[in-house]
Amino acid sequence: MQPLSRAVEVFLLLQSLSVVSCTFSDPDSGPSAGAGAGPAGGDRFKIEGRAIVSGVKSQEWVSSARVLVEGGEYVGFLRTDGSFAVHDVPSGSYVVEVISPSYRFEPARVDITSKGKMRARLVNYIKTSEVLRQPYPLQLRSSGPHTYFMKRETWGWTDFLMNPMVMMMVLPLLIIVLLPKVVNTNDPEMRKEMEQSMNMLNPNPELPDVSEFMTKLFSKGSSKTGGGSKGSRNAALKRR
Amino acid sequence: MAGLCSVFSVCLCLLGFSAAVFEDQVGKFDWRQQFVGKVQFALFDTHSQASKKLLVATEKNIFASLNSRTGDLFWRHVDKTGPDGHINTLMMHGQDAVVVVGNGRLLRSWETTVGGLNWETVLDTGSFQSAAYIGVQDVVRYVAVLKKSAISLHYLSSGHQKWVENLPESDTVQYQTVYSGGNGQVFVLGVVPNSHIVIVEYNIEDGEIMKQKSVAAPWLSSLQSSCVMVGSGVLLCADPTTKSLYTFPLQSADQTTMTPILLEPVLISTQPHPARPPLSEFFLQLGPDYHILLQLKDGLVSTLRDFNPSYLVAFATTGEKTVAAVMSPKNETVSILFILSNSDPFHLHTYSASVINLYSADTGRRLLDTTIIYSMDPNGGKPAKLYIHTFLKKDDSVGYRVLVQTEDLVLTFLQQPGRVVWSREEALADVVTMEMVDLPLTGTQAELEGEFGKKADGLLPMVLKRLSSQFILLQAWMSHLWKLFYDARKPRSHVKNEVTFETLSRDEFNLQKMMVMVTASGKLFGIDSKSGTVLWKQYLENIQPNSVFKLMVQRTTAHFPHPPQCTLLVKDKVGLGSLYVFNPIFGKKSHISVPALPRPILQSLLLPLMDQDYSKVLLLIDDQYKVTAFPSTKNVLQQLQEMASSIFFYLVDSSQGRLSGFRLRKDLSTELIWEVVIPTEVQKIVGVKGKRANEHVHSQGRVMGDRSVLYKYLNPNLLAVVTESTDSHQERSFVGIFLIDGVTGRIVHEAVQRKARRPVHFVHSENWVVYVYWNTKSRRNEFSVLELFEGMELYNSTVFSSLDRPRPPQVLQQSYIFPSPISTLEATLTEKGITSRHLLVGLPSGAIVSLPKMFLDPRRPEVASDQSREENLIPYSPEMPIRTEWFINYNQTVSRVRGIYTAPSGLESTCLVVAYGLDIYQTRVYPSKQFDVLKDDYDYVLISSVLLGLFFATMISKRLAEVKLLNRAWR
Repeated sequence: MQPLSRAVEVFLLLQSLSVVSCTFSDPDSGPSAGAGAGPAGGDRFKIEGRAIVSGVKSQEWVSSARVLVEGGEYVGFLRTDGSFAVHDVPSGSYVVEVISPSYRFEPARVDITSKGKMRARLVNYIKTSEVLRQPYPLQLRSSGPHTYFMKRETWGWTDFLMNPMVMMMVLPLLIIVLLPKVVNTNDPEMRKEMEQSMNMLNPNPELPDVSEFMTKLFSKGSSKTGGGSKGSRNAALKRR
Repeated sequence: MAGLCSVFSVCLCLLGFSAAVFEDQVGKFDWRQQFVGKVQFALFDTHSQASKKLLVATEKNIFASLNSRTGDLFWRHVDKTGPDGHINTLMMHGQDAVVVVGNGRLLRSWETTVGGLNWETVLDTGSFQSAAYIGVQDVVRYVAVLKKSAISLHYLSSGHQKWVENLPESDTVQYQTVYSGGNGQVFVLGVVPNSHIVIVEYNIEDGEIMKQKSVAAPWLSSLQSSCVMVGSGVLLCADPTTKSLYTFPLQSADQTTMTPILLEPVLISTQPHPARPPLSEFFLQLGPDYHILLQLKDGLVSTLRDFNPSYLVAFATTGEKTVAAVMSPKNETVSILFILSNSDPFHLHTYSASVINLYSADTGRRLLDTTIIYSMDPNGGKPAKLYIHTFLKKDDSVGYRVLVQTEDLVLTFLQQPGRVVWSREEALADVVTMEMVDLPLTGTQAELEGEFGKKADGLLPMVLKRLSSQFILLQAWMSHLWKLFYDARKPRSHVKNEVTFETLSRDEFNLQKMMVMVTASGKLFGIDSKSGTVLWKQYLENIQPNSVFKLMVQRTTAHFPHPPQCTLLVKDKVGLGSLYVFNPIFGKKSHISVPALPRPILQSLLLPLMDQDYSKVLLLIDDQYKVTAFPSTKNVLQQLQEMASSIFFYLVDSSQGRLSGFRLRKDLSTELIWEVVIPTEVQKIVGVKGKRANEHVHSQGRVMGDRSVLYKYLNPNLLAVVTESTDSHQERSFVGIFLIDGVTGRIVHEAVQRKARRPVHFVHSENWVVYVYWNTKSRRNEFSVLELFEGMELYNSTVFSSLDRPRPPQVLQQSYIFPSPISTLEATLTEKGITSRHLLVGLPSGAIVSLPKMFLDPRRPEVASDQSREENLIPYSPEMPIRTEWFINYNQTVSRVRGIYTAPSGLESTCLVVAYGLDIYQTRVYPSKQFDVLKDDYDYVLISSVLLGLFFATMISKRLAEVKLLNRAWR
């Protein structure tokens, strides 16, 4: 039964989709209504605009750029100053985009009425009738170069240190080194407590203890550098 | 919706899809080659001596600038296809090039250094006849465009129209030529075929008709083919029937007849500067290989020089000097070379060479030291066009370079004394079909492979054999190391990685293959997939335009010592086929006898059956439903008889909307089994696709969130048929899809997409069909995916039989919006089908998007549940994302992508991709990342340094511990 219910689910989903799309395409405002009617004779119009890449000379990119209307149904080329005109376009609604392998441009939808009135709006493929006006003649400003490449994961010290495993290693180490210095070991009560806990942790006193070894190691180092009395005291404490 | 989208993008980030290219991978395993197509017009920039520009306009509606030193592209402008983008003429003046496009619809002026437009004007409708620069007092100011019924004059600086005038009696007179001698007049020449020539003179200032006269010329049918302007305003026409030349001075007031001279057609003249009259010297072609240089002086024609034989002639001008270049066959036309090769000791190669010489145009004298030897490719075509680039040397003599275009679309740029500066294979701009063939094993590899194949013949010989092969391996490794060492000492620039037939061998992971490409002009290419070098080429002559090609690999390289074998089926317009059998690695034509195909071929079928030489059997079905087998040895026929009852094939007749299925009989005749008729009044068949024969599906089903398995419906005989409504009205148009079993003819599923029309693209693979259509109502492209499942249990898990499937499959479908138009669609393919699939979508912008199939999964839930998350299903969102990181070809766009070819490599993770159209782009994709090899960025340094560090740390600490223990013991 389950697969059937799934199929039904999908069917419902599709239906809901179609309902959504129906509500979207209610009274298509203005010129786009006569869009698909096709170029049955009628006048031909010109789509004009200008593509701008701020901070870059137009000579560097115009030769590789083109203007595509409806994915290449009509093609226009850029002048040396970045402006363009696409000729012989019949009335209808078109997506105009400037394509360039180096710079990214947002497409725009241009509606042309049968009388030749033009308007430009943002492209919205989901709500196709939504009108967010844009200036006409088109002003297509590049939003920067394309990002084609993924960043490689580079190895950095910060990444290494922030690694949870490393954190787990480093923190106990710090505790081992710093705690004896922070806690007042001269206090006899404290010492007793510590001893007890040590014994509890280390049930087999014969086994060489890592922490013991480390403290010995470090105490030796510190004694060499001259922190004498403290180090030897620590060593004495541990040795018992 | 925005909220949903953002949630969705978060999901994306979490999933981390993997179709991206890393920046350091650029050019590592991918390459692109750009082409322009068959050159129609080529002009050298003669504006300055140092200029390297060569402007070309081609039949592919492309206007491009090439570097004449290297042959690379400076820039290229790809106009729309079809007659609207057709380039009618190309003229150059200074830095600017004037182009007339679309049958005289647009007049464009290009700034040739930048590659941008100066200006663009729309001209009135009317079919284009000719265009010319109009000079006034030694300066070119205007450009005149002659249409069928009007002439217009435009300023060269801005493109604005100075005047436009209707031509008198344009319904009877065919105006074909516009001419200006540079002194302020514009002559328009027209002809009434087989009656008279009309000459109209216009005033350059206001377009007023100054003079109009007609000259009787009952023998003349076309001005363009048989008339030229020579000298100051003398019209020279040739009459092929009476073999005579006629001259007529345009300015003469009263003359009404032409003065006949004598002879035969095709005239070539030159006008070095548009503001001055043409030269009085001209070429007259008397036969296909016979030209003479003539001079017209005071109405008298005198022969300057006779060129017999000569293939091609051309004029060229530099500074004040005009020269004529003549290509003629070399004296010892055919030199025979004996080449010792392993296969046949005396292999005959005939090389024919031509010589190009320069002659002074005004005297016909041969200029000294101006010989260029042009050696023709034995596998190529004859030279078709000659373009000369002349320049003045320091000692004021004329130097020149030659651009030769041959019939097989090779552009060769030659320098004295015959050095090829560069050459371009423009036939590759029109690749029709291709295959990738594995490279052969090297000798040592073959030796090793052979060892495992042979039967055991005793213990000791086996051990010896093993040892010897190991020794060979060791030797190969040593030589490889030595080569590495040797190369490392040389500077990097000297190390050449040239690919030749000797170094051609399969690599470790079978990533390097031979790309066999078939082009529309009938030229075959063998290209190394790693570097893009053309290793062999073969021009098939007598290929009719618009032929259909089908390339099949009959025998792969796996059957050593049998050579690999490819078969090309060429079908002309009528359907009459011919077979061309060749070795795909070396490009040599094989000597196997090919069956004659007297009847039109309807279908071809490559069976998995093999003959004793391991070549797969090709079945060809003709229009009487008779089957021809190739190869047709006794062995094959016997196998076919045994297998006949299980060999089915289908035929598609899209004009009648009929799909029919046939079964093979033992006597190689056929019987009709099923027929599906799709009424042509309502809809027509757009395309039929089966599954690819080399496709593997690894998993039989999909594991669901609740650990149950949903089994895929994997019918290898399934055909996807896409139809389109004949009614193209926005409301009533639809796209239909039928899934038909190719053996039984049973319609497994049918679906209709309303308010949809072409362009339709579809991919059929595994258990799914993905198709794209244009939604006429919402004006957007939509993807739709159909997936077929058997259900929770498999009917017969061991073998699939179309005849025994009682239950129809469950079909799931979902649709998505795709925010871009689509040029082509293909799916990735890997060796075993374990890797997840991606769809490769070619966009009109030239980008190729690698779209994970995961996005096209009809089981994507509307609301994410625990189970769907368990299955890694992405929640449904109507719009499909396109991210530039998914562009597998980053900024290496492929213009007018026509097809994408995918091939598996030896690595399961890697799929080889070739996109072809105007350009060719080859790369590799890793749909599930490189899970079976170490990644490119694998950090060897870090790993080894950590290991070393740990090693030393243990050593040191061990030592310290020892010291410590010793100290303690002493205390």
